[in-house]
Order: sequence, then structure tokens, then C-alpha cells
Amino acid sequence: MINARSARATIFFASFFTATGFVAYAQDNNPVVYRDIETKYIFGFTEGSGIGLEGEKEFSLESVARFGKRDGRYWASESKLEYEFTPNQYVQFELGPLVSVHNIQNVTDLDNRNQVAFAGVFGEIRYLLLDRSPSLPLAITLSAEPEWRRIDETSGERVTNFELELKLNADLELIQNRLYFGANLLYEPEATHDPDHIGAGWEKESTGGVSAALSYRIVPPVFVGAELWYLRHYDGIWFNTYAGDAVYLGPTLYVQLGPKVFMTAAWNTQVRGHDVDVPGSTLNLAEFSRQRGKLKLAVEF
Amino acid sequence: MIDNIARIGFTVILLAAACFPAAAQQAASVSISVKSHRFQPAEIHAPAKVPIELHVKNLDSTPMEFESVSLRVEKVVTGNSEGIIRLRPLEPGRYNFFDDFHQETNGVLVVR
Repeated sequence: MINARSARATIFFASFFTATGFVAYAQDNNPVVYRDIETKYIFGFTEGSGIGLEGEKEFSLESVARFGKRDGRYWASESKLEYEFTPNQYVQFELGPLVSVHNIQNVTDLDNRNQVAFAGVFGEIRYLLLDRSPSLPLAITLSAEPEWRRIDETSGERVTNFELELKLNADLELIQNRLYFGANLLYEPEATHDPDHIGAGWEKESTGGVSAALSYRIVPPVFVGAELWYLRHYDGIWFNTYAGDAVYLGPTLYVQLGPKVFMTAAWNTQVRGHDVDVPGSTLNLAEFSRQRGKLKLAVEF
Repeated sequence: MIDNIARIGFTVILLAAACFPAAAQQAASVSISVKSHRFQPAEIHAPAKVPIELHVKNLDSTPMEFESVSLRVEKVVTGNSEGIIRLRPLEPGRYNFFDDFHQETNGVLVVR
């Protein structure tokens, strides 16, 4: 069964790559130009190594939505209203407010809620550790993103939460300007003050993760691909006590809508997971959602 | 706890700052012009592993935007004026660039 599936997948991808290659070949009289591309947003939830171009500024709206828990109806999203700028050829900064939306009905351990709220602020610094060059197809960026939240991401409750997302973003150019492999390594400690309002002080937790993604440029302005994420959740900020894990898999899309406008979208489904509080569980729907989606629209200037 | 997070953030920023390159190296100067929406010459040359100061003279009356993802720069040069772009030390190879306002205007920097 697995072999048949693998064979079908191989045939599909071989046909796809061959067909799109013929499209480029057939248009040789009016050659299609595949320029260099900024890789930061071509992998979905996985971030590429790009840090933008010196002198470039960007406004964007980036929404991440999460759907589905063990029971009831769960829909939550967090949107970044983001300003991004690149002051030199090594570093990039981002900052902006967060807006959250929660629609929760009859989910175990969560209060019913239907709200839109200003959720906090975030900042990010990205530093190019290893630059791609004509002789080196690999590039690596280190990013640090501190966040302050007044609304809990999962429950929508009023909280005081601090989080630091540290990421290593790497990508490899497999076919020049056409096919890229991306990977992320994530460490995300956070602390929430008395989330259950029982005088318990700071509750600390951490998430670790690793991702792998492929993105292929079918025509100059469009990339399609797929990504795989493995996330582990712990109590304590130093991966102290294992609480559960989840595996997400899904497609990605990047479209250059104009010289200064692009959009990116991704959809991830939890295909495997484990919750230590639910013996024998094959999904972890207490700590992670069943589905998650990402949509970003950006304008550069 | 908050102290720990602040300490991690501060360490990351310090490490990043420590990685910035020293700016004392002598830059190589390279010039290119744009006339009738064509780079002249379309291929320019520069030495490897030294900073490069690229002078872009726009001889047209309309603005152009010098842009290159591999060089990691973009700069608008207004009509009948000159823009200076400072590039980091580069590895040998070919680096494409173009005018983002007139995308048929292409050129290449060859670093040896």
C-alpha cells in the first residue's frame, strides 16, 4: 500500500516537474525570466532565510487561524499588523500590534467566547548568519521575536503573557530560482501570570519544533509546495516536563501579485499527536488545534 | 522568569551585534549608467571579498529603481541624478540586477 502510494506520488511529481519544465521550454521564443526571489515567505509556516533588501520597507497583514479541538466548536485567529524594514544587508526588523478573534462554543476546559480584541504587541529581529552566494546555495538566518499578550492565544481569556520565539531559518536552493528546500528549528519559552486566576504566580511553558518544506516555482510569480512540522510542548521554560506533541502536514502557496505586492497562504492539518493526559491518544487536541491556516498580504515600498 | 526571558533576548541581540562586519575595509568603486532604460555597460566587474561602492548614474529623465535580491539592495535613483549603493564584500560569481520600474532593464555584476 505504502509502495503504491509512493509510486503514485513519484509519478505525480515527475509529471508535474516535467510539465512545468516544458511550459518554460515552449516559451523560449519569448523566454520566461525566473529572477532571484526573497525566500522568507515561500514555505508557509516555515520561514525562509530572506531578510529583505537594504532600503526596503513593507506593511503586511498576517493572520494565523486555528480550528478544531476535542469537542464543541473552536475557531481562533491572531493577526499581526506588521511594519518591516531592512536597514542594511545583514539585519531586518519587524514590529506591530496583534489582534485576536475567538469563537469558542462547548469546548472542554474552555469558556464559551465570541470576541475580537487588541491582543498585544510583537517585535522581531532577523540576522543573516550565512549568506547565499553563486557558489553556496545555502542561507541561514537567526530570528528572535519577543511578544507581549493581554489575550491568551488559545482560550481568549484576559492574561499577562510574555513569549520569546527563537528560530533558525535555513533554506537551500535545489534548482536555481525554481526549487527550494526550507527548514526551521524553533525554541519558544513563555510565561503567563496566573492564567486561572487562583493566585498561582507565573505559569511557565515552552515549545520546541522542527520543520521541513519544499517549494517549487511553477511560473515566475507563483510557488506551490508542502511542509511538515513537528512540535513538542513542555511545562517549564527549559523543556522541563514533556506535555505532548503534534505533527502537522499541509500545502503552501506564494503569489507575487505585482512588483511590490505578494500574498502567501498555508494550510496545516494535525496528522499525528499525543497528549500525556490522554493515554493512547493519536492526536493532541488539548494543546494544539486540529487545523491551522495562515494568510499574509504584503505591500512593499 | 521575566528576567530569564529578558536575559535571553539581550544575549541574542548582543550576539547579533557582535556579528556585524567591521567597516574599515577599503571599498572598490564601480560605475554604471542607465540611458534609454538600458544599463551601460550591461555587465560590470568588481573584485571579490572587498566592499563595493556602486555609482548608478541615471541619464534618463524618469526615475529608476536599482534592485537585486542576490545583492540585497534596492534604491530609487531620480532622473538625471546619481545614486551610490554600498555593497558588502561578495563571493566570486555573477549577481543579476534590474530596474524595478522598467523590468526589461537588466544587468549583471561579475565578481572575481
